[in-house]
Amino acid sequence: MTSDASPQPIQSAKSAVESLAAVLGAALPGTLASADDPANALLHDAGVARAVVGRLRREGSGAGNDGLCRWLYDAFQSNLPEIQLAVLRFVPALAGVYMSRAVSRKPLAGFEAVLLALYAHAAAQRGSGEAETVSLPNLANPSVYHDAKVPPKTKAAELDVAVLSPALEPHGTMRATRRARIVGAVLELYHGKLAIMPLSSKMEFCEFCVAWTGNRSKLDDKPRVAAASEPAAAEEKLRRVPLPWELFQPVLRIVAHCLLGPTNSDELKTQATRAAECMYWRAAETMDARSVLATRSLVRLSQMTEEPIPEPSFSGAVETNMAELEAMRANILSNKN
Amino acid sequence: MAAAMAESDNNGSEVSPGGGGRDSASAAAAVASPVKAKARALLELETASAAAAASESSEARVDDGNIQEAESSLREGLSLNYEEARALLGRLEYQRGNVEAALRVFDGIDLQAAIQRFQPSLSEKPPSKRSNKLRSDSSNSGSQHAASLVLEAIYLKSMSLQKLGKAVEAAQQCRSVLDAVESIFQRGIPDVMVEQKLQETVSKSVELLPELWKQAGAYQEALASYRRALLSQWNLDDDCCTRIQKRFAVFLLYGGVEASPPSLASQTEGSYVPKNNLEEAILLLMIILKKWYLGKTHWDPSVMEHLTFALSLCGQTSVLAKHLEEVLPGIYPRTGRWYSLALCNYAASHNEAALNLLRKLLNKNESPGDIMALLLAAKLCSSDYSLASEGVEYARRAVTNVDSSDGHLKSAALHFLGSCLAKKSRIATSDHQRSLLQTESLKSLSEAISLDRHNPDLIYDMGIEYAEQRNMQAALKCAKEFIDATGGSVSKGWRLLSLVLSAQQRYSEAEVVTDAALDETTKWEQGPLLRIKAKLKVAQSLPMEAVEAYRALLALVQAQRKAYGTVKNGTEEVDNKVSEFEVWQGLANLYASLSYWRDAEICLQKAKALKSFSAITLHAEGYTREVREQTQDALAAYFNAVSTEVEHVPSKVSIGALLSKQGPKYLPVARSFLSDALRHEPTNRMAWFYLGKVHKHDGRLADAADCFQAASMLEESDPIESFRSL
Repeated sequence: MTSDASPQPIQSAKSAVESLAAVLGAALPGTLASADDPANALLHDAGVARAVVGRLRREGSGAGNDGLCRWLYDAFQSNLPEIQLAVLRFVPALAGVYMSRAVSRKPLAGFEAVLLALYAHAAAQRGSGEAETVSLPNLANPSVYHDAKVPPKTKAAELDVAVLSPALEPHGTMRATRRARIVGAVLELYHGKLAIMPLSSKMEFCEFCVAWTGNRSKLDDKPRVAAASEPAAAEEKLRRVPLPWELFQPVLRIVAHCLLGPTNSDELKTQATRAAECMYWRAAETMDARSVLATRSLVRLSQMTEEPIPEPSFSGAVETNMAELEAMRANILSNKN
Repeated sequence: MAAAMAESDNNGSEVSPGGGGRDSASAAAAVASPVKAKARALLELETASAAAAASESSEARVDDGNIQEAESSLREGLSLNYEEARALLGRLEYQRGNVEAALRVFDGIDLQAAIQRFQPSLSEKPPSKRSNKLRSDSSNSGSQHAASLVLEAIYLKSMSLQKLGKAVEAAQQCRSVLDAVESIFQRGIPDVMVEQKLQETVSKSVELLPELWKQAGAYQEALASYRRALLSQWNLDDDCCTRIQKRFAVFLLYGGVEASPPSLASQTEGSYVPKNNLEEAILLLMIILKKWYLGKTHWDPSVMEHLTFALSLCGQTSVLAKHLEEVLPGIYPRTGRWYSLALCNYAASHNEAALNLLRKLLNKNESPGDIMALLLAAKLCSSDYSLASEGVEYARRAVTNVDSSDGHLKSAALHFLGSCLAKKSRIATSDHQRSLLQTESLKSLSEAISLDRHNPDLIYDMGIEYAEQRNMQAALKCAKEFIDATGGSVSKGWRLLSLVLSAQQRYSEAEVVTDAALDETTKWEQGPLLRIKAKLKVAQSLPMEAVEAYRALLALVQAQRKAYGTVKNGTEEVDNKVSEFEVWQGLANLYASLSYWRDAEICLQKAKALKSFSAITLHAEGYTREVREQTQDALAAYFNAVSTEVEHVPSKVSIGALLSKQGPKYLPVARSFLSDALRHEPTNRMAWFYLGKVHKHDGRLADAADCFQAASMLEESDPIESFRSL
């Protein structure tokens, strides 16, 4: 009966932890409550991630009365930046499970409430949802990074303006035909915070990406071992989902980060490479030219080695001073400066 | 003079820091002084000789200078500078791979003290007198050398810390090198008179610093140091600068860090200043490519791939095509370049250019079996009736050439083959050929589905093909399956289902489906569904509700026009739009069918105002004349419509129908018009009906019966709107 009581609004990292513990119970690691930095633990603790993601992926999650979805919604609406980050950490699992199940048309009001809250935040961040545009440079004119031989024209040449992300219209409910746009915008929000997301969150994203594309990759040509590829019994199989450009593009940008970003993780790069290949074949399936170009480049880049930073080079001149240096070395090191 | 120099040397000794270590070093130096002094003297003598050679002093003066310099170096050799000794020793350890030992040696260096000692002489202007100038130049060179040693030591310290996994400390040390250099050369490093070793250390430090910050996870600092590297004057060579630019572009593109724009302080009048990550990355990549065109740097294939990714993200594939075209021969195989250019053009809706490139690529003397190019060519042709035949050939070659173990690509090839065959069947010149093509199309699509069972696009296209062939039961099944497979998220699936149900005359069910679709669609995109709803009302003989539906549609269309104005970036898909013209036309048709002539005329005038010469409008005008028995005016309007659009089927049907009532002598012409209409639209039931009448009047009863039967069958499967509208 106490669980039916209306939850207290989340006002701090500590209260967020307490209300999450009320939802997940024993599944949540005990160390979380006593953590010095609860918000950091929510974002980075492996035990928390296992508990939350495991619950999200469980069959039957995401309904209107789902307590975890309620927690995610309340935590994000707390407007505490560090708590909002912790919620964003679970976007891969949230979006991944949601899109796969939405195709089956199961009741998912809980997931949708969280996604719509994130979407509204993304729209507000863009000043009432304005489109993100890109102005392309014209190298005939000077820029901050280069000079042009020709003197600047009296009238500035009109720049090519391209739309990177279309405007975000307000949405109070999740409609099927807007699903991809809403989830795409949520992924863009996640993309903007990738630098501070934990590795496990990115690994999850690449896994869901592979599932969304229909698990197609050259690596799959050989028959797979059934036991290894089967998901856990309690988890539903992920399904192939429609990937219109408004969803395909933010997915691609996140995969590109996992593949080529500053995170030094071979495991992540391997998973991202697989995701990129799956997306390439998905694009080839319909010969969507823009998608083919972008994914083909990603796959090619995954096969190129990074040019190393030059090591210091030494001239041979030092040899002539070897005797004196040896003597000095003995003296200095013996004093243990 | 000699006494003054000796005194100066003594002063230097007195102010040296690190007493204990200093004494030990001095002692060590004293022990080895003969060899050290001799080596240093030789070095100084060479320097003096070089300086003398460059000057215009008299021969006697040169001799004097050499002697004096030799004396000076001998004195200096007696006591080695503290920092220099540490620097040399540390470098030795680093070279040997003793990173920790090197670090201990470097720790003893006080960079600030060393810099303070270097700064005055390095920045001092040379005096005007010749003899002083000679000495000053020599001194300057010596100071640079000393500075170079110390700065290199701190750089190596940074490298040592990096190797020990201490990225933050490494970055801080590296930054101190750059700070020191900036304080020494307050107006930037000059292009000349800089010791090579010093420049090398500076360049390496500039390049290293952002990488260290990245490793440390301090991305904002990395960002700032990249910009510092590129915007301050470090006298970097082209290769070094290019490497930094590329790494910075990669960091901007993929780093997941939201960067603030470069400072306006670096902006000059009329300069382009990027305002977000993607713009800055694209600018840098373009600059690198331009350097390559100018021969300043070597080709790096990853640069073009990064640029491709960046420009594809924002849909600027036309710009990408220009850059691909500018790449000199020898970098890409020409078929590879053609394929890339074809993709760029296709993505930019330059279909003709794309297809021409593919034709060259797929020429028998080039790469006729290139699977990806064949698929792309088939895709291009599948959207144009006149190219359908060519597309069939490409798709067939793709099916033939694809690796049999690659079921995925084979499925895609079969899919395109089915689509092209379906397109080709629409313009078939005989019933037999059409039937053959349609059968083959379904066969290809079925085979494709067997290879890729969960591809909704295949299911949808199969449904369309069944519908066009008037197999409504199968089409219905496909439509439902498509909606299930996509979770109702693709509008055309709802529309297909609704049209199929309308074709089965299950209008109320079609309406339920349309209403469900409207619930799942945002207001802005409801146009096509509202149009279907209006036509469903017409089909159910509910004129007042039809008028209401059309009014709702008109309100939406007009609101869209005001909101978008002239559409610059067509983010809205074309097939999601309903034009205001067709709404007025629909209302005109509705009023005409109700014999509300005045209202029909008003709507027609509005439609004409939007599109002056339209076969549809002229046909509607003809219809209003016809039903008021103004036969000649009606015929005139119909003929005008056919003149405007040669293949306008409704007008041909109307002409045939009207002529067939004008007496026996007009029957052959009527028959000709009706047959022509059926050639274009074999499922036009009214054409079959009137053709049957023509045959009946001419006494060909068997033919007439066949036509009436066809009309009757088609009436049972006639959608309210053509499936081609999907």
